Amino acid sequence: MSNKRVLLVFFVLLLALATVVPFIRAQDDMTDVYGRALPEDAAPYSMQTYRVLCNAANPGTTLSAIVSVYQRICGSDLFGDPLVVLDNNLNLIPGAAESWEPSEDGLTWTFHLRPGQVWSDGTPLTAYDYEASYRFMADPANAYDFVWMWQGVIANWSEAVAGEVPPEEIGYKAIDDNTIEVTTANPFPPLPNTLYFWAPLQKAALEAHGPSYLLDPATAVSSGPFLMTEFTIGESIRHIANPTYTGFRKPILAEYLGFFGNPADSYAAFQNHEIEVVGYEALSAADLEVIYNDPVLSANWLPTPGDFRTDYLLFDTYNPPFNDQKVRLAFAKAVDREGIVENVIGSRIALPAYAFLAPGFPASDTEGALKDIQGYDCEAAKALLAEAGFPDGEGFPALTLQLRQEGDAVKPRFDAAAASISSCLNVEISVNNMEYASYMSGLLERPTTLQFGAISYGMDYLDPANMLGLWVSTGRHSWLNAEFDALVTEANALVGDIERRTDLYKQAERILVEDVGGIFLDHRIAGELYQPYILGSIRELNGQGLPGWQWGNDANWGGIYIGANVADYDTYRTR
Amino acid sequence: MTGYIIRRLISLIFVLLAVATIVFFLMNAVPGGPWGYGERGHSPEALENLKVRYGLDKPVGERYLTYLGNVLRLDFGESFSVAGNPPVLQHIVRVWPVTMHVGLYTILVAFSLGLLMGITAAYYRNSWIDNVVTFVATMGVTLPSFIIATWFLFIFGYQNGWGQPGKWIIGPITENGNALLSWDYFLPVITYALGPMAIIARYTRASFTDAMNADYIRTARAKGLTERAIMIGHVFRNALIPMVTVLLPTIPDLLTGSLFIEVVYGIPGLGKFFVTSIFSRDYPMIMALVLLIALLWGLTYLVTDVLYTVIDPRIRVGGRVRSA
Repeated sequence: MSNKRVLLVFFVLLLALATVVPFIRAQDDMTDVYGRALPEDAAPYSMQTYRVLCNAANPGTTLSAIVSVYQRICGSDLFGDPLVVLDNNLNLIPGAAESWEPSEDGLTWTFHLRPGQVWSDGTPLTAYDYEASYRFMADPANAYDFVWMWQGVIANWSEAVAGEVPPEEIGYKAIDDNTIEVTTANPFPPLPNTLYFWAPLQKAALEAHGPSYLLDPATAVSSGPFLMTEFTIGESIRHIANPTYTGFRKPILAEYLGFFGNPADSYAAFQNHEIEVVGYEALSAADLEVIYNDPVLSANWLPTPGDFRTDYLLFDTYNPPFNDQKVRLAFAKAVDREGIVENVIGSRIALPAYAFLAPGFPASDTEGALKDIQGYDCEAAKALLAEAGFPDGEGFPALTLQLRQEGDAVKPRFDAAAASISSCLNVEISVNNMEYASYMSGLLERPTTLQFGAISYGMDYLDPANMLGLWVSTGRHSWLNAEFDALVTEANALVGDIERRTDLYKQAERILVEDVGGIFLDHRIAGELYQPYILGSIRELNGQGLPGWQWGNDANWGGIYIGANVADYDTYRTR
Repeated sequence: MTGYIIRRLISLIFVLLAVATIVFFLMNAVPGGPWGYGERGHSPEALENLKVRYGLDKPVGERYLTYLGNVLRLDFGESFSVAGNPPVLQHIVRVWPVTMHVGLYTILVAFSLGLLMGITAAYYRNSWIDNVVTFVATMGVTLPSFIIATWFLFIFGYQNGWGQPGKWIIGPITENGNALLSWDYFLPVITYALGPMAIIARYTRASFTDAMNADYIRTARAKGLTERAIMIGHVFRNALIPMVTVLLPTIPDLLTGSLFIEVVYGIPGLGKFFVTSIFSRDYPMIMALVLLIALLWGLTYLVTDVLYTVIDPRIRVGGRVRSA
């Protein structure tokens, strides 16, 4: 073969290679770490990074709700699967457990793990990991901050938390590698709902390295969709898709990246396409107006009920002047909720509240039967205050409404509530925005040092036992009503008769509203603004015809991805 | 001189002791505690265990004495609120360099530009140059740094995408690492430097104007000295004393970080952690940072006093002034 021919063949081969190689790479880049083809409208795998802004002011100390609920770092709880999760319609669906059933007496729940689940170090995920995690939480030596969740619910839980019995005696036991048995002190129908948050720690890692093993990439293991690979305190955190994950939410995303910054910068960062999502709490009323008036932004604003959060005012009802129900009711009827929602908060992100349970929450007052009890009626409010011995506010002590370190998104609504009461009843109310720890210290002290305050609460699980449990005498408020306590206690343990159970909760809530345990101001409508190129399960409509990331639907981590339309935007991926 | 410095260093120990005492007792008197988070609080048993674990179950006086003993062994305790509960000294050593980088660049920019502006304004006083410098200085003093930072972010980061677009809003320093010369430092340093630069410019102008109007300058001119000789040999030297008095104490502030700058630009530095530690009642971290800042202030004042003697030979440390 002549030299010319050799050269010709060489160039032809080179040309063929140059044509084929990019094609092969493109094919590889359209496959995820599990070997699955990406959705047709997805961006290449190298662009499947999901970036979020983490709150630098609350940097957290743990990546697991098993260690602390309130000290979690951005991107926590992705390293294991809870036994159950919620779907887009807030129905409980299998998580790490493929099924569960209660015993006939309603006292024992048996959960069956999906077979074949493994940790990233290759060891199997077993029921003993869940058992070790619950024992860790119940052990008073670990000072867990969410023990109230199962007090009076899981057998021996309260006793273990109080140090009266060892944590090994709680009613949460591994029967074999794939079976967990939870025994409750009394029948408790919503027990499975309470197990949603808790992705397990690995028993072996917990014993070998302690509860902080997740913070160090060298010791971190995961049985969940992601694996933590980098973490610099106060700077950034990086997870990659866990290649050994076999669970129910295999991520299409390749990477999760969190930057610690100022939440107030979220919207600017979002507009700069630096992060994929911004939550409602970081958006002002003006931002929302812009969003609603922009066709692209409004199409990507996905409102949800969130955690059914209610803002409300609270009292020390054990001492004057709020030990008089007439005074409390006068204050409640002096709050112009409709005006505040319309003019201060914005009707797109809140509803006026006349009771504690938000519309749509189980046992909530969807018929509006409680509306008139605390509804705005200034004349009636004045009359009530006069009956209580303070005609036209005369002789009423000056008050301070204490807030819990509220930011610009929430503080104005409480300012407006104070102004509404003050102007209607002619009483002097100043507003003081306290530092968080001082506020909570005052609220939880017994006797409380918080005479008059404002706060919010959202659900921890989808059942009235959770929300109304806040108001029982062992809850956080200085309000006591024995009838309310009895109704809630009876409903909590009622098995089989859903109607009766709902009715008991409704009766209890009526007492809460009539006796004015609190003044209910507004129910928040949560929501997130997503980039147009965040596609997948959050775009699917639920039973109410709403898209969005519904509370508790952490299956979405397996359903969202970066769309190919990301190429139309100037993002860090394309720069 | 050596004796004076040793005496000052010994007195600094007492200053630190006083600072530690005041802050320790004040900190513990504030309502709430390190575990005041959460919607329903800890159980009493859990709270008791936490107190025992971190030594907060003992009377405050006893804790104070224990703390002082530990500090003498350079043991400042473990952080309550930083992930992994690292020793606070270890954490400070990790995050301070980030703040130091920004602080040192800021000192460089603020002092060089401030001095240049002040001297130029004094030399061309009552001219348009003087007016411009006065205007810029007034703006620098009156505009809060967080306003300037927000403007800068909006104009240069978001609108124009200066430097490396997409990095100004979140964690500008994070993505590039802490490179010594990085565009990422540009906006934080300029924002941070504007205030001190304005103060420096104003004081420099005032000092130089006073010096230039002094009789000995008129004498120097009458003797036929060149302007350069007059400025460097007489004006500059005599103008330095009031400047040193006012300007050097700004350095500890710049080296220990600004909350606003660090929060707005997402810089994971000391200033931000200081505020976080106060809100989370991270007692060991608060104490260590307060002592660090107090130490820096003490050392700065010592350096300032020593510098006086270098600038003005008539001044002798220890309060004696040599007659001219």
